[in-house]
Amino acid sequence: MTLTTEIHPQPDLLDSLLDIAPGSHLHQVRHARDKVASATQGSQDLFFDPALDNDLSQSERLCVAYYAAKLGGQTSLTKHYLKQLQALGIKAPVLANIDAGTIDTLGDARLAAILRFTRTLIESPVHGDQAALLALQHEGLSTAEIVVLAQLIAFMSYQVRLAAGLAALHSAGAAQ
Amino acid sequence: MSELIESNGFTNQVLGWKAWLPTVDLNSATPEQLAVLEESHPQAKTSDYYLTLAHHPAILRQRSQAFNAIMYAPGGLSRAERELASTVVSRINRCVYCASVHAQRFEQLAKRNDVIAQVFADPATAGTTDRERAIVRFAIDLTLEPASLNAGSISALREQGLDDAQVLDLIHAISIFAWANRLMLNLGEPVFPEA
Repeated sequence: MTLTTEIHPQPDLLDSLLDIAPGSHLHQVRHARDKVASATQGSQDLFFDPALDNDLSQSERLCVAYYAAKLGGQTSLTKHYLKQLQALGIKAPVLANIDAGTIDTLGDARLAAILRFTRTLIESPVHGDQAALLALQHEGLSTAEIVVLAQLIAFMSYQVRLAAGLAALHSAGAAQ
Repeated sequence: MSELIESNGFTNQVLGWKAWLPTVDLNSATPEQLAVLEESHPQAKTSDYYLTLAHHPAILRQRSQAFNAIMYAPGGLSRAERELASTVVSRINRCVYCASVHAQRFEQLAKRNDVIAQVFADPATAGTTDRERAIVRFAIDLTLEPASLNAGSISALREQGLDDAQVLDLIHAISIFAWANRLMLNLGEPVFPEA
C-alpha cells in the first residue's frame, strides 16, 4: 500500500541522547522491538516536521515539548528541545517565563493557553476537562490543531518515561 | 461474564466513550483517514476515540503502530503482565475508561481478576506475588516520578526473574499508557451503561 504522508527517517533520537551505541547490549535489547523504536522515531519526525500540516507553529510545538520534558525532569530531552528552540531564535523573555512556569505573564495569549493545557495534561491529566478544550478554541485553535496538540503532549509523556526507563536500564548495565 | 468489580470509581464493566470534539465523518473521510482507521483497530470506524484522532491520520498511524507493537507482539513479557501494568498506570492517572478496558483484557488472558481488584482498591499494595508487586511498584514509580528511576529500579525487577527484554516490554507498556490515558482523559469522557 502507498503512504500518502512521506516520512524521512532521522537518526534515532533516544539512542543518540542516551548514548545507546549500536552493537551494545541495550541497543540489541531495544531494537529487538524495532517496530516500537521505529514508530517512536516516526512520531518524533512527524511532530517536529517544519512542514507538519496544521497551524501549530514549529516554535509552539517545541515550546510544548521543552516545557513537557522540563516538567517531567528529563534533562537530556529538555536540553535537546532547548537547543532546537534556540536554533529557531526563541526570545529570551519567552524562555524565561517558561523556565519560571509563569505562563500567565507570557504576553502571548495563544501560547499561554497552549502551555497551560500542556501543564494540566502533564501534571494532572484527570483535570483536563471540556473547559480546557474550550479555552483552546477561544484562542482560535481548530479541532485538528487541538487533536495534534493533545497527541503531542501525550507523546511527550510517553517519551519522557521511555527515556527514563532506558536510562535506568543503561545505568544498570548488562545483567550478570 | 466475570465477577463485577467496583471500587473507588473504577470498574471492570464494559464502558462507552464519547468525544468532546467533532469526530471525522466517514462519508467525507479521505482515503488516508480510512486506511489508518482500518490499520488501527478492528472497531475504529465506529469508535469516537479513533474518529477524533483521525483528524491527523499520519500521527494516528505512528501511535497505532507503537501501541499495537507494544501490547500485542509475541515473546518477552507475558501479555497479561503488560495488561496489568497498563491497568496500574490507568488507575494512577485516574483514567476510568482505560482501566476498565485493560482490566477486562487482563482477565481474558490470565483467567482471574484478583490482582485487578487489589489495583482498584489500593495500587500501592497490589500484587498477588512478589513478581506482581515488583511490576506494580515499577509502574507506579515510572508513572508518577519518572526522574526517580535508577539502576536499583531495574535490579528490583531482575530479582523477580524479569530479563532485560521483559523489562523493556514493561517500560513500553507503562509509557504507552502515559500517552493513551491522556488522550482518553482529555478528548472525551467515559459513558456508563444505564442501570
